[in-house]
Amino acid sequence: MSTLRKITAWLIPALCLLFIASAVFNATRPATGLDFKNFGTLPVVSNGRVQPLDSLARNALLSIHGKQRIPGDGAPATPAAWLAELTFKPALADTRKIFLIHHDDLLGLTKLTRGEEKSYSYAQLLPAFPALQPEARRIGATKSQTWSPYENALMLLTRNLTLYNQLKHALALPGQDQLESEFNIFLTHVSEALVEVGKQDRGGDFNQSAIDNASSRMRTVADWAPMTEVYTTPSGDGADGWRKLPDSLIDSIDKRALHPATLAYARIGDAYRTMDATAFNSAIKDYRTWLRENRSDHLKKASAETLFNGIAPFYLCMVLYVVAFLCAIVSWLWQGRTLRQAAFRVLLIGLTLHTIGLGTRMMLEGRPPVTNLYSSAIFIGWGAIILSTVLELFHRNAIGTAVASVVGFATLLIAHHLSLSGDTLEMMRAVLDTNFWLATHVVVITLGYSATFLAGTIAIIYLLRRPFAHIPKSTAASLRGMVYGVICFATLASFVGTVLGGIWADQSWGRFWGWDPKENGALLIVIWNAMILHARWGGMVRERGMMVMAVFGNIVTSWSWFGTNMLGIGLHSYGFTDAAFLWLSAFMASQLFIMTLGLIRERGPKPPLNSLELLG
Amino acid sequence: MPVFKLLSSLRLTVTLLGFAMVLIFVGTITQVELGIHEVQEKFFRSWLAWWDVMPGGKTFPIPIPGGTLLGILLIANLLAAHGARFKLSWNKAGMIVIHSGILLMLLGEIFSSLLGREAQMAVNEGEISNYSTFPRETELVVIRPDGDGLETVTAIPQARLIDGAQFPLGGFSLKIHSHYPNSEILPQSEAGETFDKTRATDGFGKAYAVRRTPRETADDRRDLTSAFVEIIPDGGKSQGCWLLSNAFKGGQSFEAAGKTWRMSIRQRRLYHPFSIKLLDFSHDRYLGTNVPKNFSSKIKILNPDTGENREDLIYMNHPLRYGGLTFYQAGFENNDSTSIFQVVRNPVWTLPYISCAMVGCGLLWVFSQHLIKAISRRNKLHPAP
Repeated sequence: MSTLRKITAWLIPALCLLFIASAVFNATRPATGLDFKNFGTLPVVSNGRVQPLDSLARNALLSIHGKQRIPGDGAPATPAAWLAELTFKPALADTRKIFLIHHDDLLGLTKLTRGEEKSYSYAQLLPAFPALQPEARRIGATKSQTWSPYENALMLLTRNLTLYNQLKHALALPGQDQLESEFNIFLTHVSEALVEVGKQDRGGDFNQSAIDNASSRMRTVADWAPMTEVYTTPSGDGADGWRKLPDSLIDSIDKRALHPATLAYARIGDAYRTMDATAFNSAIKDYRTWLRENRSDHLKKASAETLFNGIAPFYLCMVLYVVAFLCAIVSWLWQGRTLRQAAFRVLLIGLTLHTIGLGTRMMLEGRPPVTNLYSSAIFIGWGAIILSTVLELFHRNAIGTAVASVVGFATLLIAHHLSLSGDTLEMMRAVLDTNFWLATHVVVITLGYSATFLAGTIAIIYLLRRPFAHIPKSTAASLRGMVYGVICFATLASFVGTVLGGIWADQSWGRFWGWDPKENGALLIVIWNAMILHARWGGMVRERGMMVMAVFGNIVTSWSWFGTNMLGIGLHSYGFTDAAFLWLSAFMASQLFIMTLGLIRERGPKPPLNSLELLG
Repeated sequence: MPVFKLLSSLRLTVTLLGFAMVLIFVGTITQVELGIHEVQEKFFRSWLAWWDVMPGGKTFPIPIPGGTLLGILLIANLLAAHGARFKLSWNKAGMIVIHSGILLMLLGEIFSSLLGREAQMAVNEGEISNYSTFPRETELVVIRPDGDGLETVTAIPQARLIDGAQFPLGGFSLKIHSHYPNSEILPQSEAGETFDKTRATDGFGKAYAVRRTPRETADDRRDLTSAFVEIIPDGGKSQGCWLLSNAFKGGQSFEAAGKTWRMSIRQRRLYHPFSIKLLDFSHDRYLGTNVPKNFSSKIKILNPDTGENREDLIYMNHPLRYGGLTFYQAGFENNDSTSIFQVVRNPVWTLPYISCAMVGCGLLWVFSQHLIKAISRRNKLHPAP
């Protein structure tokens, strides 16, 4: 191989590394002006877990707006900056057009007109509250499975408005501009009033207006507490020991001093309002110093999570997988070996980053890799890439790389869409709270999904190449070998995973098998894989037939993965417009189309069946 | 023999597996209409299942082979195939282990559905219970007080509550007039025309009307069983008619043979030779959410036969296995002061563990053989440089 080619084979991977390095540089570069980067790292407890303000802001924006960027001139540039604006300058934040309304009936109810964008501001929606609230109460009393698209949209909007209001009240009380002095005045007045109450109890002279003044201030703070579910102030031990800001104000009466966290948020808010970068940054720095001494574990976790959010490794992976796929495809037509090597190297870089991302999530959660639908998508992609890396090392024809990048990209895209529904590092419900079964059953069965999808994708490559060009015998043999081997692995993983699931069910509910939709879905994958193997051994299908069957495996697996979760919405007329259901149906239809292509016979004499072929 | 050849063929295996997939798929989507229990009976534990393609629409159902039929045919196919081609060799050993494991699993499912029992026990904090109840079965009980706090309980299972049936109980007999496996009971004044007027001349039921309703299919709903019963003293005149139902709390009393008896319809009970005392139930949620973090029940086992008196903790994924039964933390009610355990007897619970290990090892063995063969074939074609 010439030196030029060698350089080319390294050049593309090197560019990819540069791309990653720039993303990491961007995420770690110190901020100028108001330091929203460090503001974002401050830990709070929300949704039952310690998380940085950055995650709180990102997940809220994803849920409300569908993306992390806010439209408009002078809009906050990052989610953390948006959160600061929302909680410290709510009147300005209320004018940002972030609430999405897609459904026409809902738009009609709010009496808004469709502009160029489908987003509306809180201020625009405020007049519609009297119309929205009774509808939300009516719908809330019915079962969520029976909701129509309009009802779903309305409930989603209501939920997002609630979320928005909770964040608005998280770090400050809207309407109070001088937080630090307000908090101190509160503390002084209440302490004074307590002295007066003592006098009153002893029957002496006392100042009634001081008591009235303090009790009205107490009422304001007590009314504030139920408006937020964000816990800002570390008080007792662990994640359960945190307090909301208003509660910590009440706690401070006993101690006669504001809690460092309460004081910090007051100072941060005051500095933000006056755009005093020095005061803003030093208040954050002081609080971080206090946290480092008193809550170093929570600060470390929050900082790590903020960095993870900033680098967004799975987004970078998607870009790398596109590059790897293009190189692999082109390598079949031109510059075979050079591009094949480049593609494989880019894939390996992507895999490394994917692994680091997965590992970071595991570390942040303290859990095995798969804990919810989102992480199952990340892990299915990862498993498929590992398997196809082995195939590529074995066959060296860029097929493994191409397939790996397709599955990796597709699963990460699905994961991205799943992340729109909220916090992806959510806490586990009690019944799932067992690292042993999460690490065994869930991981093994998800690998089964990976392998079945992988076999299906390789088969698609075979079936799509066939109408355009004659597949050389050696390529056909290697595709056949890959599909057969991967199906064997899929059978093993899906069987063991399914039975381990039964054993877990036996441990937690007292029954091994209950025929519930998710169990049945897993069983379908096992049976389908077993059917392919038996049909092959019995000579009922040969190369092409096995490929067609393998593609059907994609349908079975997608049913088990998503379809079973949609039962109750997908089977009745009203569910048919649900976006996820439409995507699933479209995917299944595309697979059926590819299978039909595979059923068309090639011209020419039938190749003889020999025993070598039978073994794959 | 053509029949044996067919029975042992791989073609039959593939066909049966295909039918199994159809059955499982249809059995899954039908759960939306019928509920999980009815689907289990009609699809997975039946010989023939009827698939209603458009539920509620005007189509006729399509028959498909049920779970029992497919299971038996698969077992027959498996045995015949191994019988026809049995050869003890290292090459075949893996396959034999895999299929024995699958056979064991199928048999395990059959036995556990025949021998297994599932009941529930609800205990309040600080209280003791020595029985479990079956949530989907009821019984009619007649209780005779024997003095010293002792009672003699006669329990009539639901299956024997047939209209017109008569049960002699020593001094009098009890006659069933109408039995409603599931019913709706309303005060007479609120009941519409579709309700049957009460026939009760005594007890709670005098002012209530009853209507027959279909059996419950949802997992979280119970049937309300009701019956009109008449008490007829031996050789005497009818003493009146009562309406019994598990919708009514507590029993209803009547006088007969010189004693005050009580009777009621209640969930069928399973008495244990030991008692469980609930010392404490705790239920934590994650801060600021309604997501349960854990449930646990601190209990004490009291067994008069063995003199046992020990504490134990039952929590999610950590059941208590005691006296051939397994107690799982299943739920809670009454503002976290009542703990509900699922009580399961399944003498063959170990079979899935064994068969999983067998099939897993067997698959690993067979596929490793394939892999080694594939690698050595590849090395022959492209010898290493």
